[in-house]
Amino acid sequence: MHLQPIFAAMRRNRVGAAVIAVQIALTLAILCNALFIIQQRLALSARPSGTDEPDLFAIANEWVGAAGDPVARVQADLALLRSLPGVAGAYVTNAYPLTGSGSTELLGLDPEKLRAAPAAQYFGDEQTLRTLGLRLIAGRNFRAEEVADLGSFDNPHPAGLIVTQALARKLFPDGDALGRGVYYAGQRSTTPIIGIIAELQVPWTSIGGWGSAWSGSSMVVPFRVVTPSAYYIVRAQPGRLSALMKSAPRRLVALNHDRVIDGVQSFQQARTAVYRDDRGLAVILAVVCAVLLAVTAFGIVGLTSYWVAQRRQQIGIRRALGATRAAIVRHFQTENLIIAAAGGIAGIALGIGANLWMVSSFATARLPLIYLLAGVAVVLGLGQLAALRPALRAASVPPAEATRTE
Amino acid sequence: MLDMRHLSKIYRTEVVETYALREFTIDVREGEFVAVTGPSGSGKTTFLTIAGLLEEFSGGEYWLDGVDTRGLNDRQRSRLRNEKIGFVFQSFNLIPDLNVFDNIDVPLRYRGMPGAERKRRIHAVLERVGLTSRMRHYPSEMSGGQQQRVAIARALVGEPRLLLADEPTGNLDTHMARGVMELLEELHRGGATIVMVTHDPDLAARAQRQVHIIDGTIVELTADPRLVREAQAAGADVSQP
Amino acid sequence: MFGYYLDLALRGLVRNPGLTLLMVASIGVGIGASMTTFAVFRAMDGDPIAYKAAELYVPQIQNLDPDVHTPNSSVHADGLSDALSYIDALALMRAHAAPRQTALYETRFAVTPSDPQLLPFQVGARAGYADLFAMFDVPFAYGGPWSAADDQAHAPVAVISRALNDKVFGGSDSVGKVLRLDGQDYRVVGVLRDWNPVPRYYDLQDAFGLEPDDVFVPFTRAIEQHKFTGESSNCSGPQRAPGWSGLLQSECVWLQFWVQLPSAADAARYRAFLRHYAADQQHSGRFHWAARTRLRDLRQWLSYEHVVSNEVRMLVVVGFGFLVVCLVNAMGLMLARVLFRSADTGVRRALGADRGAVFAQGLIEAAVIGAAGALLGVSLTALGLAGLRALLSREALVLAHMDLPEVGMAVLLAIAAAIAAGLYPTWRATRVQPAWQLRAR
Repeated sequence: MHLQPIFAAMRRNRVGAAVIAVQIALTLAILCNALFIIQQRLALSARPSGTDEPDLFAIANEWVGAAGDPVARVQADLALLRSLPGVAGAYVTNAYPLTGSGSTELLGLDPEKLRAAPAAQYFGDEQTLRTLGLRLIAGRNFRAEEVADLGSFDNPHPAGLIVTQALARKLFPDGDALGRGVYYAGQRSTTPIIGIIAELQVPWTSIGGWGSAWSGSSMVVPFRVVTPSAYYIVRAQPGRLSALMKSAPRRLVALNHDRVIDGVQSFQQARTAVYRDDRGLAVILAVVCAVLLAVTAFGIVGLTSYWVAQRRQQIGIRRALGATRAAIVRHFQTENLIIAAAGGIAGIALGIGANLWMVSSFATARLPLIYLLAGVAVVLGLGQLAALRPALRAASVPPAEATRTE
Repeated sequence: MLDMRHLSKIYRTEVVETYALREFTIDVREGEFVAVTGPSGSGKTTFLTIAGLLEEFSGGEYWLDGVDTRGLNDRQRSRLRNEKIGFVFQSFNLIPDLNVFDNIDVPLRYRGMPGAERKRRIHAVLERVGLTSRMRHYPSEMSGGQQQRVAIARALVGEPRLLLADEPTGNLDTHMARGVMELLEELHRGGATIVMVTHDPDLAARAQRQVHIIDGTIVELTADPRLVREAQAAGADVSQP
Repeated sequence: MFGYYLDLALRGLVRNPGLTLLMVASIGVGIGASMTTFAVFRAMDGDPIAYKAAELYVPQIQNLDPDVHTPNSSVHADGLSDALSYIDALALMRAHAAPRQTALYETRFAVTPSDPQLLPFQVGARAGYADLFAMFDVPFAYGGPWSAADDQAHAPVAVISRALNDKVFGGSDSVGKVLRLDGQDYRVVGVLRDWNPVPRYYDLQDAFGLEPDDVFVPFTRAIEQHKFTGESSNCSGPQRAPGWSGLLQSECVWLQFWVQLPSAADAARYRAFLRHYAADQQHSGRFHWAARTRLRDLRQWLSYEHVVSNEVRMLVVVGFGFLVVCLVNAMGLMLARVLFRSADTGVRRALGADRGAVFAQGLIEAAVIGAAGALLGVSLTALGLAGLRALLSREALVLAHMDLPEVGMAVLLAIAAAIAAGLYPTWRATRVQPAWQLRAR
């Protein structure tokens, strides 16, 4: 394959070649990064929370006024909820996964917290594990008597903690966390780890946001939340979820009017809401990529068609001298490939540069090589496809063109 | 009218220098019909493009209707072209996106002529070439001969001092060619100055005077005897180069 | 000649619909994408109180030991928290080192309607000092702010929003009426007009919330009623004692603080005051480090707090990159078109067009493409904004909209972009030698 005539032709159409190369470079840079971000966000929104989401919902409860014994009214609520037909478990808590809001506490190996790990804390009682569907892989659940009442701004000492495996490993890398004592909050004495669960996600889901570095570090703390504001987490038996989401709040209000039900949300609704921006961004970037590729492709078709028309006589001469149709097609495809390759190299550099800028500005992750390669493959492939039609038209130029004088 | 003295045109590439025209001297008087002949590559097309101010020359002088064309800038040359010269090309070179009226309109637009005056002139010139009925048609809808007549109309509409024709019948069959030549002759009888490049000796013979170019220089001059005598009387040097 | 060129441009574009469509689409899509992301950015990066932005400031005090690095969502890279503790907020209020000042926090109240048949409902509230209304130019429909005396007396008074006024009092002048909040009676002293600045600069944790604050109560009253914030609080530092008083005495940061300092001299004085205050705290043993302080004005504060989300920043860059690709594409297509028509250009040159005329014709043609692209671009922007609104949460892009100034900008941008893209191709067109075209057969 003689490349010399191709280079000569490109030198004569420097600007046109540059136009295609620049478009390919920019499209490639955007494409690689966009594909990576799309994959990141979709993977993010597919992470399991560790709970049996289809059967769970939360009721946001706000007590009005100071009337009523805080402990008694919560216990009455729990008794009611647990007695409702179709309910497979209920408890009161400060937070639940997939909401983006919750509470963080440091668990330390020493009182000064010089060696400590942050964790999301979910308050709960002996029904929490069953309600959420958390799997104990070591140790035991809380006993009813171990659960302390937690009022506003109280700091009780927890009787024990159930932590996730990830958190246990962080604190005790040698793997022997069960029974060991850790310092919780500002307590001067330790609290034992009485149970280890397989998986429970922190409430925060933002990429690079709060908790993203320790998104598997959660603990269940045996406190019964009796503050004015709390959530009741209810597990419905299969098929009973939607009915219970309507009836349970009504029953609660009927039991005690001094409250406001500030919202009822299933865990699946919570998941959709908390990952909405991530999925949305993925869709937007996908659309952007598709349009960019289309624009670049049409640009290539346009310019290549012009070159074919400009060189009709030359093509005719080649054909008259014995070049086959296939050779003509190969000539134009090769020309396109060289320009695209030049654009591709620039695009790789641009793509890496753009990624590095994003890493420093937004704390995203570094671009893996595979996305660069995938991007190059897509863009080069697209370029070849776009150049095909004009190339085929070039191939159909008859040798007689060589002799036309006008 | 068209007065070139010792004109030269050199094409320079990286490797070689080519003289397209060399020591080229010609004087076309007002009202003359000159045919320029010569083999391919002789430089007759170059002569025409330089005469039409479409290209710059390397050396010598070129006086067009008494104006020294050396050192004119692009704007001045364009203006001179617009006002003094009418072109007729072998491949008609009508603008395919425009209809007949708008094609003829183009040179008048660059003259900044008001609409009414343009309309009047276009109608007049269309009548002269006999194509008034085709005013709104597009070039693609017309025969070669008609297109060439439109081109001639376009060349005439600005009332140029000089008509330059490059193989005006090259793309036409005999019948249409005859029609175009008759039109040219008619224009000449009306007082137009015409310089026509052609490789067809029969066509060349219909002109008043023939000039033959080989390798960038005028080789032969066949002059109308009457004009030669008049020139001699006026004191011009009509000796052969 | 302008009319002539315009006419030629329109006719030429119409006779080549395919190429024209590609060029117009290129410009239109580029304008649409970039204007969409720009509209969102403008909405988020807005300066809702721009005329006063230079006078409003946020003080920061480093109340956490810089050597202890506990994870804390309030602390920025410079080691300062973006909220104050109660100790510091109260001390700053008492010192009165600024002409106007307010501590501020978000909380929630349960409203019990007078009609016992109606259920109580929750409202978002803000606890602050009387100065806040003047500082933020909060507009009143009826009545006005409470007084400094009310602040002193922990008075049960409230300023309510128009929406709440409509809901509870039917929209009438409810000044003097009683509103039952958390089971207690509060006297309404003022009713606001619609007020929801975007971004909500005084509470960036809810910067783009659609719900305005429905109730404003005196800070002192809210503290007395043990109302805690519903937004984030950070309690690093020494363990706090239990109970409300334990919280108030702790180093937990959960309060916003704003001062109004009309002149640069006032700001300098306040900065000095902050430094002295921090030094005092160190002397008294509360801090055993040299506590840093900062005073940032509103613009600096918005930037420090990264109001514009990373997703939006990313999209703005993508939008711009998109525009560049589309412009380059348009330029390529225009170049192809110019070169395709170089024979016609050559004819015009032969007939008397000088280079200037060719240039003018080419630019006007580019401008026409730009105008058509603008039409497409504006429609695409509207489509894009609707799409974004559907795909992203409301908070991500509230109030991103297109009205007349944006439309005008889009049109100008499109025409300018098309002309920019057309500059090189048009210049190439002027380089066409009349002779070359005619001799190339």
